[in-house]
Amino acid sequence: MTEAVATPSASPAPAGSGEREHERVGFSLSRVGVIGVNTLTEAVRQKVFIFLLLVGLVFIGSAIFFSQYSLGEQEQLKVIKDTCLGVISVVSTLIAIVGTAQLLPSEVENRTIYTILAKPVRRFEFLLGKFYGSALLLVLSMAAMCLMFGAVLWIKEQSMIRELSQTYLGETHDATEEANKQIQQVKITVLDVNLVKAVLTDLVKAILVVSITLLVSTFSTSLVFNVAVPFMIYVAGMLRGTAVEMWGSHRLAMAVLAIVPDFGLFSLADDINLGNPVPWAHVDQVIVYGLARAAVIVVTAHLIFSRREI
Amino acid sequence: MRLKILVAILLMGSGLIFLPLENSVRAERTRLKYGGARVTIQLREAIGQNLAIALLAGMRGIVADFLWINGHGYWEKKEWLRQYRNIEIVAALQPQAVMFWDLGQWHMAWNIGYGVLSDPKNRTKAEGIKREHEWHEKAREFIARGIENIPNRYDLYFTMGWLYYEKLSKDCDKPPCQEAFCKAAEYFGTAASFSNAPEFVARFYPRALEKCGQTQAAYEEWKRLWFLDHTKVAQSWSIIEREIRQLENELQIPENQRLFPPPLPQP
Repeated sequence: MTEAVATPSASPAPAGSGEREHERVGFSLSRVGVIGVNTLTEAVRQKVFIFLLLVGLVFIGSAIFFSQYSLGEQEQLKVIKDTCLGVISVVSTLIAIVGTAQLLPSEVENRTIYTILAKPVRRFEFLLGKFYGSALLLVLSMAAMCLMFGAVLWIKEQSMIRELSQTYLGETHDATEEANKQIQQVKITVLDVNLVKAVLTDLVKAILVVSITLLVSTFSTSLVFNVAVPFMIYVAGMLRGTAVEMWGSHRLAMAVLAIVPDFGLFSLADDINLGNPVPWAHVDQVIVYGLARAAVIVVTAHLIFSRREI
Repeated sequence: MRLKILVAILLMGSGLIFLPLENSVRAERTRLKYGGARVTIQLREAIGQNLAIALLAGMRGIVADFLWINGHGYWEKKEWLRQYRNIEIVAALQPQAVMFWDLGQWHMAWNIGYGVLSDPKNRTKAEGIKREHEWHEKAREFIARGIENIPNRYDLYFTMGWLYYEKLSKDCDKPPCQEAFCKAAEYFGTAASFSNAPEFVARFYPRALEKCGQTQAAYEEWKRLWFLDHTKVAQSWSIIEREIRQLENELQIPENQRLFPPPLPQP
């Protein structure tokens, strides 16, 4: 590779020549893994990531105080779950955009990309590694937020059980049985396993946002552009359902709309929180949709990145 | 240029390929009644710009909760019409939330109803009663829409039954009220038919039947409840026994046909 670039008689190497050199090197998942872990390490050190995560954790923690403004226990639980799931969704989307937007531009700016691509690393591996690293970052941050969410729910559950026990303290046998029934009901309502479905779909949505941000950053070096465009695409994606309802009969409009993923399809948290049945088959469809879209976008990003002059 | 065309084709083509999957997920969402009212200009004007943006960002639940908590302020300040408008918006945002329909009708029929009844601005007592009845009617209409949205849960049927039983039968003991109790019995019966309905719901059905004038049907229902398997069904059996004894006396059922014959007189 070095020789090919350094040959004095050769004309300047065309864009992507390095990639063609590396085509002799087979694709390696372990290299992707190494780049991914490195990306994660770098991303975790970013102040903006730490700031966003802290904001998310503080908001989730304070959901227990927001809920005090509502009257009944059911209302309070709903407020807590809505707030926490909403914060997880927003913060994970922001982390996906901000954490990914500067990955490629910073590599180019710091010139570290030259050292990496000078080694037997395919550009696709490099790009996939960056994507993998961002996805790991999301998993990590969402795990932290979910832990906080779980802690908030546990605190609320304990306070509800304590109140119930005090209400029925010293009452008759029947009343004690009634209290036990209500405590069981509280446990079932608080720790609803269906919440996992909401978190999973949020994670896939954020991964899709990562892929879009990565695609934008393959042809743009401006950080502002890399943050603003995916954010606008996200907003457009949230409105896509409404747009489809309005222009569903226009084929051209539908073809243009088809470019933007429908982010509204990932919004399951509200319905799960309301106790609506959300079958796994539906969740699986949403996950498949999100991951398939992300895969296509990463391949498109590779098309651009592989031909980019660095 | 070729690359740009290729990228455009790839993105648009894949988008078109995904359309059937998207449509299938969207149809499933419609079938399962996910989401709520669309964000329209009218809704934006009603909830304000910031909340409309939050709605568009997918935070429907948070927006509804925020508006709901805000509504407590209207209640405290006795701004009934604002509170009513707020309840309507919240229910439209999350029509699948039992809580909003249930508590919304409670505010209308109980709190606002009493508020307008005892309003010092009323010129006569009759005006207060008339205004209270208007709010009861609003509550009834509201909860009926709730049932249309959530027909597969017992909660709102019971709520409607309770509204008929407690409020729409108020202040009269003549036939129109009996109709209210009959309607209450109808809704309690539907609520009790859900397997996950709490035990007290089943007991309200015969109570309402009795008040509706169908004493014999009420007696049969109490007996049906009594014959359920005591080891498997959780019920307050002592209450059921008491009600059956009372109705057996009231209906003057011959002693040999009674479920609980009176105890023999002590020698």
